[in-house]
Amino acid sequence: MWVVEVITNEEEILKGLAEAVIKGNEEKSTELAQEALKMRIDPYDAIMNGCSKGMNVVSDLYEKKEMFVPEILLSADAMYAALDILRPHLKVDTTVKKPAKIVIGVAQGDIHDIGKNLVKMMLDVAGFEIVDLGRDIAPEAYIEKANEANADIVAISALMTTSMMNIEPVIKGIKDKNLKAKVVVGGAPISSEFAEEIGADGYADDAVSAVRLVKKLMGG
Amino acid sequence: MTRMTSGERMQAIMMGKKPDRVPVNPFVMGYAAQITGISIGDYYADGDKCFEAQFAAMRLHGYDVTPMYGYASAGPWEFGGEIGFPYKSGHSAPYVIKHPVNSVEDVENLEVPDFDKELPGAYGIADILGKRCYELGMPVTFQSGSTFTAASVVAETSLFLRWVIKEPKILHLLLDKVSDMYVNALEYFAEKYGAEKCMPFDGGPVESNTLLSPKQFKEFAYPHMEKLHMKIKELGFPAVLMHPCADQNLNIPYYIELREKMNWQGRYIWLFGPETPVPDQIKAFGDHDIICGNVDPPSLQTRSYEEVVMMCKENIEQGKDSPSGFILAPGCEFPPGAAPIKLMAMMDAAEKFGRYD
Repeated sequence: MWVVEVITNEEEILKGLAEAVIKGNEEKSTELAQEALKMRIDPYDAIMNGCSKGMNVVSDLYEKKEMFVPEILLSADAMYAALDILRPHLKVDTTVKKPAKIVIGVAQGDIHDIGKNLVKMMLDVAGFEIVDLGRDIAPEAYIEKANEANADIVAISALMTTSMMNIEPVIKGIKDKNLKAKVVVGGAPISSEFAEEIGADGYADDAVSAVRLVKKLMGG
Repeated sequence: MTRMTSGERMQAIMMGKKPDRVPVNPFVMGYAAQITGISIGDYYADGDKCFEAQFAAMRLHGYDVTPMYGYASAGPWEFGGEIGFPYKSGHSAPYVIKHPVNSVEDVENLEVPDFDKELPGAYGIADILGKRCYELGMPVTFQSGSTFTAASVVAETSLFLRWVIKEPKILHLLLDKVSDMYVNALEYFAEKYGAEKCMPFDGGPVESNTLLSPKQFKEFAYPHMEKLHMKIKELGFPAVLMHPCADQNLNIPYYIELREKMNWQGRYIWLFGPETPVPDQIKAFGDHDIICGNVDPPSLQTRSYEEVVMMCKENIEQGKDSPSGFILAPGCEFPPGAAPIKLMAMMDAAEKFGRYD
């Protein structure tokens, strides 16, 4: 009887975490993350079957244009509040393959980072390790960081026809240095044709498809 | 039909008459700097240079619209924040360095810029350009919106977007103060140059449906837009250049509502993004307003001359017979780095496929 009750409570906590993320309720997600630890729920389960599950629903609703950026920002706040509590308690399993590492930033000359931040959050939730360089980032900085971090992916966004021209030098630099990183691009003025022309490894037109693209490139 | 000058062509379309051909508004800003050998930074920081670059570009290419001043990050400087001018690689417009609003208290303490003494922020630059236009008999075009986009940069943007849900009252207070700045601008330009000589310019990307739901647009953007447009009507401006930037398809019912509620004799010139099909624009506004084309701006930079001509041809064929007139245009600013031959392609397409005789 006792075992059944624990399972039910665990399910409720996970369901509650997902709902708190969907509704953007930071207070609730904080409370439930603490509760999960108290109940000795595996933090990995709480993240994957609670927070991430909620964020996947958010992604679907965003893709269907049933949820927009203000709600997503609050969902992200709720999710990160829970992650801050749960992540320090994750067990380190050395037998598990390390997640792919992604260096992300906004192209040089561009300060528009809302799109980049959404992509970063979705990739984070999908389990990738993120190195966020920020905005208005010079091509050399991407190349240097991709080399230093041994990155699998470099993700660059641009919102201007002027700044999008600063992506190609990153791709060229990565190829010249024979780095393993694949370069993915996105942002309002960029098209799949443009991505192909400059030699990018992939193009995504929103945050949800960016995750799909990166998973595909990583063989997922 | 006798060949018209650019002035005659624009006058004809504004009067609801058929011009000799479809006019061209290439929505040139930073491009004018690039082809006249000045920096884009100087173009935005100096009203005289901005005027001269655009005046040279319009004469060089022979397009039909006159110089104007404005940029998407308007607002923060006027409210006491700090902007940077675009002098670095990749920059194409002024950008925000310091937002004047970073908390609820900042909104409560925010003072609406005063136009009675020294003009606030970039309005001083816009006024220099406006005066140069006025002296040559050209319309004085100045920024009168959008309130929502300006407010989104007056406040730190991600905080602003969170307030859409968490602090609706504070958001309305901020939007009200920003719209009051635009009321002051409308009154200033109407009084100085005469409303009949001016054309306010309203538009912005932050209310687009890539960021905002139509419900949120109705609740937050619409009321302040209506307030300003009622002021435009009251002051007697004859036309407004409207640029609902990026994908605003879900907001169109509210722009229609605005048009109907205004019951205004003046004319809107609608310049939507490439996401909004020209036939949809004609259906919504074509009976009384001028519709602009919406050629994909990045393609003007990346596609060949021949491809740009064909894109413009398609745009012209869709819009040419709109009941109240059509102007060939890109769906947003002409790319500053595009080759001059691409603008020539727009002009050639208008000459070849846009003639009415």
